[in-house]
Amino acid sequence: MQFAARVSLGFTAFLAAVLLAGCGESRTPAGDASAGRKVYRHSMDEAPSSLDPVQAANVYANHVAINVYDTLYSYKYLARPYELKPNLADGWPEISEDLLTYTIRIKPGVHFIDDPAFEGGVGRELTAEDVVYSIKRHFDPATLPQGAWLWQGRVAGLQEWKAAGSDYDQPASGLVALDRYTLRIQLAKPYPQLLDSLAQGYAAVVPREAVERYGAQFAMRPVGSGPFRLVSFDTSRILLERNPKFRQEPVDLEAEGYDPATQGGYGLERIAGRSPPFVDLLEMDFINEPSARWNSFTKGDEVQYTTVPNEQLDRVLASRSPVRLKPEYEERYHSFAAIEAGFIFQVFNLNFPEFGYHPDPGQERRNKALRCAIIKAFDWEARNESFYGGIGEVYPGIIVPVVPEFDPDTPRDSITRDVEGARRLLAEHGWNAQNLPVLTYGTTGSVVMRLMFEQFRAWLKEIGYPTSKVVLRQYATFGDISRAWKQSELPWIAKGWGLDYPDAENTLQLFYGPNGSPGSNDANYRNPEYDRLYEQASVMLASPERTGIYRRMNRMLIDDCVAVTGLSRKRIHLWHRDVIALPDREIVGGFFLKYVDVLDKPAAGGR
Amino acid sequence: MNAPAASAVDANGAPAASRRETLWHKALWKLRRDRAGMAGLAVVMLYFLAAIGVWLGWWATGWAEVAGGKWEAPSAAHWFGTNLIGQDIFARSVYSISTAFEVGLVVAVLATLLGGVLGALAGFFAGRFTDELVVWLMGVLDSIPFYLLVAAIAFAMAGNPYAMHVAMISTFWITTARLVRGEVIKLRQLEFVEAAHAIGVPEYTIVFRHILPNTLHILLVQSTITFVAAIKSEVILSFLGLGVKDGMSWGLMIAESTIEVLAGFFGNFLAASLLMFGLVMAFNFLSDALQDALDPRQVS
Repeated sequence: MQFAARVSLGFTAFLAAVLLAGCGESRTPAGDASAGRKVYRHSMDEAPSSLDPVQAANVYANHVAINVYDTLYSYKYLARPYELKPNLADGWPEISEDLLTYTIRIKPGVHFIDDPAFEGGVGRELTAEDVVYSIKRHFDPATLPQGAWLWQGRVAGLQEWKAAGSDYDQPASGLVALDRYTLRIQLAKPYPQLLDSLAQGYAAVVPREAVERYGAQFAMRPVGSGPFRLVSFDTSRILLERNPKFRQEPVDLEAEGYDPATQGGYGLERIAGRSPPFVDLLEMDFINEPSARWNSFTKGDEVQYTTVPNEQLDRVLASRSPVRLKPEYEERYHSFAAIEAGFIFQVFNLNFPEFGYHPDPGQERRNKALRCAIIKAFDWEARNESFYGGIGEVYPGIIVPVVPEFDPDTPRDSITRDVEGARRLLAEHGWNAQNLPVLTYGTTGSVVMRLMFEQFRAWLKEIGYPTSKVVLRQYATFGDISRAWKQSELPWIAKGWGLDYPDAENTLQLFYGPNGSPGSNDANYRNPEYDRLYEQASVMLASPERTGIYRRMNRMLIDDCVAVTGLSRKRIHLWHRDVIALPDREIVGGFFLKYVDVLDKPAAGGR
Repeated sequence: MNAPAASAVDANGAPAASRRETLWHKALWKLRRDRAGMAGLAVVMLYFLAAIGVWLGWWATGWAEVAGGKWEAPSAAHWFGTNLIGQDIFARSVYSISTAFEVGLVVAVLATLLGGVLGALAGFFAGRFTDELVVWLMGVLDSIPFYLLVAAIAFAMAGNPYAMHVAMISTFWITTARLVRGEVIKLRQLEFVEAAHAIGVPEYTIVFRHILPNTLHILLVQSTITFVAAIKSEVILSFLGLGVKDGMSWGLMIAESTIEVLAGFFGNFLAASLLMFGLVMAFNFLSDALQDALDPRQVS
C-alpha cells in the first residue's frame, strides 16, 4: 500500500509539475526561431484561408500576399488620402493618348526567394512574363480565382484566352511581355483604376515553376519576391522571416507622405534612409475573440498591436472626439485613430414587389414612400453609439469619407431621424398596420447581429410597423447569408463594404444595374440615368467633372430611398511603444508591415 | 400529551390504517412532509405564475422595446439596468421565464410520453423484434454527442425555431425509455398481467391500460428531471446560437453579456444567472422530493 501511495503521489506531483510548467510558459514566437532576432508580433481577428494571390479575397489574405509577393504598384506608407507609388514597376507607366495602352517597365534584378522549385534551388529573376502569367491565372478556372472582376471586360483578350482553354503557352492579346522587363497592357476601354488593380494582392507576381511544382499545396507554400518569406502557417498564426534577397530601397519619408505634424510622435524618422524590412521575424497571430486579443496585447510580452474593442473604449479613452487615450494607456502605447476605407449600410432589395419595383406605378410610388419612411425611422446616432462606440462617422449616401470625391456638404436629411415624418408619410400613402408587408431580416447568429435586428425592429414599431411583421431569419454562417443575398432571397440586406481602391467608383458600382444579383448590386437598383452616368464616369480619369457625376449619382440613390446609409467605423490602433510603425488595415491592408521596426529595448516610459 | 383514541396517524406519523390507503396517498403525504421539496414546488409555482403572466400579456410586454440608453445602471425604472441597445434587462429576464417553461414543458411532456410508450413496448415485447429495434435506436442515439446532434438537426431544419425542441426530444426520451423498459419487464411477470392474458385482453390494451399506468411514478419523476435538463440545454444552445431564434431566453442574455462584462456591465449576466439558478434549484429540490416520495421501497 505504501509503495502504491508513493507511486500515486509521485505521479500526481509529476502531473502537477507538467501542468504548472504549461501554465507558466509565455507564448514565444516559433520557439528557437526568435532567439537573438528582432521580432514584431502583429495580431489580426481572422486567418487567411489561402496564401495564393488568386484567392486573396480579403484583408487577411492581402496582409500576407503583399508581404511575401511583389506587386507592380503599392500604396504609400504614410500618405492619406491614399496615393499609389511604383513598387515592382520601374516608375509610372507610359499611357497612350486614347488611355487604352499602358506600357510598364519592371525593375531589373528582382529575384524570387530560393526554393526547390527553381533550377538548383536558387530563386531566379522576376520578369514581365511572370506578371503576365500571374494575371492570366485569374482567368484559369482550375485555380479557383476570385480576382478576375478587376480585369474582366477591361483588359483585352483575357476573356478570349479563357474561352480558348486557359493555355498559358498561348498569348492573350491585351497582356503581353514585350521583353524581359517590359509589359504592355491593352485595354478594351479606358480603365482609370488599372494601376490600383495592380496594387491588389490579386496582382501579386508568382513564379510558374512553383505553381506547377506544388499544385494545390501552393496555397500554403508561397514562393515570392516580397520583403518576407514563409516560415510556418496554421490557423492560429503565421511566421514570416526577412527575405535576405529583397531589393535595397532606402525609405524616403517625404516621398512616402510623412507628415511631421500628425505623425511626428511615432519615431518614424528612425527608418529614414534605411532599406526595409527592418525586423527579422514577422509573426501574425490570428485571435478572433476581441477580449483574448486585448489580453494578449496588454500582457506585454505577446502581440504588440491591436485595435481597441468597442467594449473597452470607455476604459481606454479620455476623449472620443478628438480621440485621446487616458494617461495610463498613453504612457504605454502609441495610438492612431482612423476612419475605415469602407462603410456599413442597408439596402432594400427592389426585386421584391412589396418594397421595390411593381407593375402598378401607383403601388411603386407607395413602395417608395414605405422605403423612405423606414429610412426616416432609422436612428443612426443610436446605431453608432450602441455598436461602434459612438466614434463612427455617419454621412448621407455611399461616397465614403476616405475618398477624395466625398462631399461633406451633402444634406443630412436622409440620416436624420424623423419618426413623425415617417408616420405621416405612411399615412399619406395609405399604409397601416394591416397592409404593411412582412419585412424579413436576414442575419447570422451572432449576438451583435441579433441586437442590431432587435434595435431596428424597435425603431419600426415606433412608426407603427407591427413587431410581428419584422421577422428574423437566421443563417448559420456568413457564407450562407451571402448566398441568400446573391440569390436575391431577402428584401432587406444589412452589410458592410471595404474599398478595394480609394475611388468612389468602387462603391457606386454597388448600384449599377448590370451588377444586379448575383452581382454586387444586391439592391437590384435599375435606373437608366444612373447606369448611363456610371458608364460615362467609369472611363474618366479623376477630375472635377467626374467628381460632379459621382455626387449626382449619390444624390439619385438618396432621393430614390434605395438604401439606409451610411456609417464608416473609426478604428483605434494601439501598438507598443517599442514598435516603430503606423499600422493600417485599409485599402489592400498590410503594406505597412515591411516598414515596421522594433527598438532593442522599450523607450522611456514604456512597459 | 394524550393522543385521541382514533388518531389519523399512527405512532410513526404515517396515515392511519383505517383510511383507504394507496401508494399515491402515501407518496403525497411524504411529499408534503419534505420541506425542501415543498419550498421547491412553491418556487416553481411562482415562476410558473410569472410565465402565465407573460403568456397572457400581463407583464414583460416591453421586453423588445428600446426603453432607455446604452448600459444604464440599475434604477427604479430598470431594476437590472439596460443592455447595449437600451432594452430593459429585467423585462427580458422575466420574459425568458416563459421561454424556459415553454421549452421545458414541451420537451418534458413529449420526451416523457415518447420514452414511456417506447420503453413500455420494448419491455413488454422484450427479446422480440420491437424490443431489439427500440434498444438499437437508443444505442445509436446515445452514441452521438448531444450538442453535435443538435447542431446537425438545427442545420438540417434550416433555422426552424423548433429544431432545438426536436433535438432535445429525440435524445431525452432515452433515459425514460430505459427505466420504463426495466419496470415493464418486471411488471409483465406479475399476476394481473397473467390474468389479463388469460381472459384474452389484447396485448396493446394490456400495455397501455394495465402496465403503463403502473410506471407513472417513473414518468412523473423523469418528467421533472427532463424539464430541468431541457431548460439548461435551452440556455446552452441559445448561448451557442443554436437555440431560441426569435424571442428571448436566458441563454441569449448570457450570450449578450459576453460583450458587456469587459466593459464592466453585468446586468444580463446576473439577471439571467440568478433567475435560472432559482428555477433549476427549485426543480432539483422538487425532483428529489418526488423521487423520494414515489420510491416504492421507501413509501411502503
